[in-house]
Amino acid sequence: MITHRPTADSCLDCPPGSGRQLCDLPDGLLATFDKLKAISTCPRGQVLFTEGQRARGVFVLCQGRVRLSITSGEGRRITFHIAGPGETLGLSAVLSGQAHELRAEALDNCRVALVQRKDLLHFLRENRAACERILQVLADDLELAYQRVRQFGLARTRRGTAVSVH
Amino acid sequence: MLSPYGLDLVESCLTCKMRSERLFCDLPAAALQSFEAIKYATAYPRGAVLFVEGQAPRGIFVLCKGRVKLSICATDGKTLILKIAEPGEVLGLSASVSGKPYELTAETVDPCQVNFVKREDFLRFLKEHAEACFKVAEQLAEKYNNACHEVRALGLSHSAIEKLAKLLLDWSTRNGEASKPEPRLRMALTHEEIAQMIGTSRETVTRLFADLKKRQIIQTKGSTLLVHNKGALKVLAGAV
Repeated sequence: MITHRPTADSCLDCPPGSGRQLCDLPDGLLATFDKLKAISTCPRGQVLFTEGQRARGVFVLCQGRVRLSITSGEGRRITFHIAGPGETLGLSAVLSGQAHELRAEALDNCRVALVQRKDLLHFLRENRAACERILQVLADDLELAYQRVRQFGLARTRRGTAVSVH
Repeated sequence: MLSPYGLDLVESCLTCKMRSERLFCDLPAAALQSFEAIKYATAYPRGAVLFVEGQAPRGIFVLCKGRVKLSICATDGKTLILKIAEPGEVLGLSASVSGKPYELTAETVDPCQVNFVKREDFLRFLKEHAEACFKVAEQLAEKYNNACHEVRALGLSHSAIEKLAKLLLDWSTRNGEASKPEPRLRMALTHEEIAQMIGTSRETVTRLFADLKKRQIIQTKGSTLLVHNKGALKVLAGAV
C-alpha cells in the first residue's frame, strides 16, 4: 500500500509554463487544486493501481516514470506507455466510474500527487477552465491509445506477431 | 419528417424522446437550447463517409439514428474496425477538442441521422456550458477505456478463434443477452467486416464460423446467430 503523507510541497512552487498537462492551470485554480492533492512517494516497483481495481482517484506524476501496461490472465504483458512527470494517471477510470483498464507500476522512485475521485469530480464540475484542460488531457490520452490500437491491430494483421509483448 | 433514406428525422433535440437515455444528449435546458442553435441535422445513406483519418477536424457528429463503423487503416490499405458506434455516441470528439487530425475513419453502416456541429461552435459551446464540458469528458474517458480494451484484445489474444469468441461474447453482453443460457445475436456485419474487427482475414473468419457450427457451439439462421454452447465459447475466449 502507498502511504500518503501531506508535505509542504506545493504545486504553486513548481516552475510555471512547464507544459505539464494538468499542472499548468491558471493561478486561482492551481491553488484550489493544490489543496485537494496529497503528495506521496512510491519506491521503484510499487504498483499504483491494477486492472480491474476501482478508481480511488487520479495520480499526477510529479517525479519519476511509471509504466502503464495491460496484462493477460496468463501473465503476458503489453507495455502501453511509459508516463513521465506531469502526466495524469487513472483519469478515464475516475471519470467513467469504471475499473482501471491498465496497471501502473513505478519504474523509478516516484513522487505522485493523489486527488481523491470525489474531490476531482467536484473540482471539475465547479471549474469549467479545469474541465476544459482535462478534455485536452483526455484527447491526448485517447490519441496515444489509438496509436497503440494501430500498432497492435495492424501490425498483427501484416506480420502475425505482436509488438512489445513481454 | 421522412428523409430520402427512410429515416424518421428528429428535427429538434428539444423534442427528442431518446434524449434522457443518452449520455451526451441529456443536457440541462439552457445548454440544450444553445446546442439546438448550432447543430445541423443531416441524413446519410448507408456507406457514407463522415470523416477520414488524417483529415483536419471540421467538427463533431452526434449519432442520432443508425450505426457508424469506426476504423483505422494501414498504409497498405488494410483496415481494422475499432467499433460500431451506436446512437447517442459523439464522433470526432478528441480531434475537435485537440485540433489534431481525426484519428479514425467514420462510415455509416445503416442510413443515419447525424447532428453535425462545427468545431469553433462546439468549442464555444463547451466554454459556455460547464455541464456539457463534463459530459464530453465522460465520453472521452469511455472512448479511452474502449481503446484500452481493444488493445488488450488485439495484443494479448493468442489466436483468431480466441478473438472471435471474445467478440461474440462481447456482442451478447452489449445486446443484453449475456445472462441468457443461449444468447441470440443479429449479425449485421459481413465476414470481411468481422475479420477487420479482429485483425484477421475474411477466409479465416468463414472457416472459424464453419468450425463453430460443426462443433455445435453456434447456430445461424439468416442473419441471426444463436450461441448454443456458451460455456464452450467462453473456454475458447479464455474467459474460464
